[in-house]
Amino acid sequence: MTEELKVAVERKPQGAILYTKGYINNVGGEEIANRAYELMDGGVRTLLLNLRETKIVNSIGISILIEIIEKMMDKGGKIGFCCLTPVIHKTFQIMGLANYASIYDNEEAAVKELGL
Amino acid sequence: MSLLVRRFAEFLNDLQQLERTAARSEAILEAFTRHTPFPAGALYLRDRDANLRLAAKSQQFVAPDILADEPPTEVIAAADRVLVPLRSGRDHLGLLALSGGEYSDEDLEVLRAAAAFVGTLVANQRMSQEMREGDFQLKYRLWELESLYDIGLSIAGTLNIDELADEVLFRMISLINARRAALFLRDGAGFKPYRSFGDVAVSDADLQRLLETEKPVTLENGTVVAVPINGNNQIIAVLAAGDRETRDGGIGAFEANELRLLSLFANQVGIALENARLHREALLKQAMERELELAATIQRDILPKSIPAIEAIEIAALSLPARQVGGDYHAFFERENGVTLLVADVSGKSMPAALLVSALHAAVQLLVREGRELGEVATELNRHIHHWSAENKFITLIVASIDREAETLQYVNAGHNPGYVLINGQLEQLKSHGLPIGMLAQSKYMTQTRPFPAGSTVVLYSDGITEAEDEATAEFGNDRLEALVRTACSPEEMRDRIAAAVREFVGAAPQYDDETLVIARTR
Repeated sequence: MTEELKVAVERKPQGAILYTKGYINNVGGEEIANRAYELMDGGVRTLLLNLRETKIVNSIGISILIEIIEKMMDKGGKIGFCCLTPVIHKTFQIMGLANYASIYDNEEAAVKELGL
Repeated sequence: MSLLVRRFAEFLNDLQQLERTAARSEAILEAFTRHTPFPAGALYLRDRDANLRLAAKSQQFVAPDILADEPPTEVIAAADRVLVPLRSGRDHLGLLALSGGEYSDEDLEVLRAAAAFVGTLVANQRMSQEMREGDFQLKYRLWELESLYDIGLSIAGTLNIDELADEVLFRMISLINARRAALFLRDGAGFKPYRSFGDVAVSDADLQRLLETEKPVTLENGTVVAVPINGNNQIIAVLAAGDRETRDGGIGAFEANELRLLSLFANQVGIALENARLHREALLKQAMERELELAATIQRDILPKSIPAIEAIEIAALSLPARQVGGDYHAFFERENGVTLLVADVSGKSMPAALLVSALHAAVQLLVREGRELGEVATELNRHIHHWSAENKFITLIVASIDREAETLQYVNAGHNPGYVLINGQLEQLKSHGLPIGMLAQSKYMTQTRPFPAGSTVVLYSDGITEAEDEATAEFGNDRLEALVRTACSPEEMRDRIAAAVREFVGAAPQYDDETLVIARTR
């Protein structure tokens, strides 16, 4: 098992999807943030983070995700998450991410609801 | 509106914009350099360690990173520069150093008013930040508790130690902000890696040190830790974590709270491993019980289901297998002019004993039915059992043939308890005259013959009768048995009396060995 995070970006007509694979920690969180900010600077206002291949997220990773959500909210955009493991889903609820970003069971539902 | 008021209103408007977004230091400084006569400057804000740290500065402006002196409480105006304290109530939050322009007293008034506003703004944002951090910490504690609770539930709900180990590792890594973690399982005198996430720099020597001291081991300046997992009164595994992340992107030593969490997770893993071990033992026990049941079935099927009806000979038998299958065996063979009776006891218990009984049964059935004389039967049996069974397996056996017409009793006793004959009120023993069957390859057995007139009784039994123990572990013994055999009665009555006497003697003590009794009387 590896601890490195990889991020893949898929542009959609109305935004983008970020696919993460690996551990969302400080390094991984920064990697996501860099990609997200690049997209936001390019005018993207709707982002979906598909965490299908992420099984671990730590508190630093969570605080970085919160920062990304806040920055997007400042710009009047929205962020959603999908395909979370039950443990990460519960963690997001406890840590308050679910209050500011929508969480979807699967990508199809997320794309539809976010209007991507 | 005077110029001053208009300037201040514009200044205030800019500062109010800062309130709506996160007030960056650069933006604060920029507002001051734009709306005052000072085109350059530096902003110092107090950090968490109470130092006045440089937060923003204009290009060309020379300013140290940290101010050594305490800031002034009031605006200090020099020829070409001013120092403006940022305060909120009695708190000194920072300092603005501005330079480069000519200024009036009115400019200083504007500076004072703007600094008061910014002081309040910074104080509010600090408070807001502290609240957010406090809120985050509270949620983090809840996350910690929920994780431990969930793992408890998982432990109770599964025996899949692989899945459980992954879950514990993932949750532990998440909560203590580690980059790597590993679980080692005890393997003899050392440990072997079982599950890992990344490579944790723990050597065999480190693990050995932990085993010897039975205490957590801290390595690499505290950035790697390994804690013992106890179970079954010994260290059964080790949980290790490495590279605790810090918010600035670096690696730091694990702190007390994280070590405490690591120990809590180690306890959970210990419980899970213990559960798995107990489950394995329960499965093993179940398998053993199934084996015992099977062995008991084999033995039940081998033993005679009925007693042959033979003219002028009454026969009675008793077979009480112990809970743990022993190796008693008995058989009857109808012969011309009489009957052959056999009682044997094979060494060992459970399935090995049952298999030996099975081998004995097959050989005995063949040899006796061929009509061979008893000495030859025993000698052949000995050769057969010695050849085919394990070295430490043997059988004690007594076999006796009654010839009604010749009024004789022939017998062979191969290391078995002495049988009894009761002839005209006289009790005699049929003592052993050879080694148990299967002990020595070259053993030979001679048939013993004695008179057995009508009305005589022969009693064969296994040591389960004479060695039956009461609660004080005293044995029933041969004296009690002989006293019962001396009393003339039918074989059935004698069997019932002996069985009742043994039960009464034993009381509540458990039955450890098979009990077998075969009695025959000629008329």
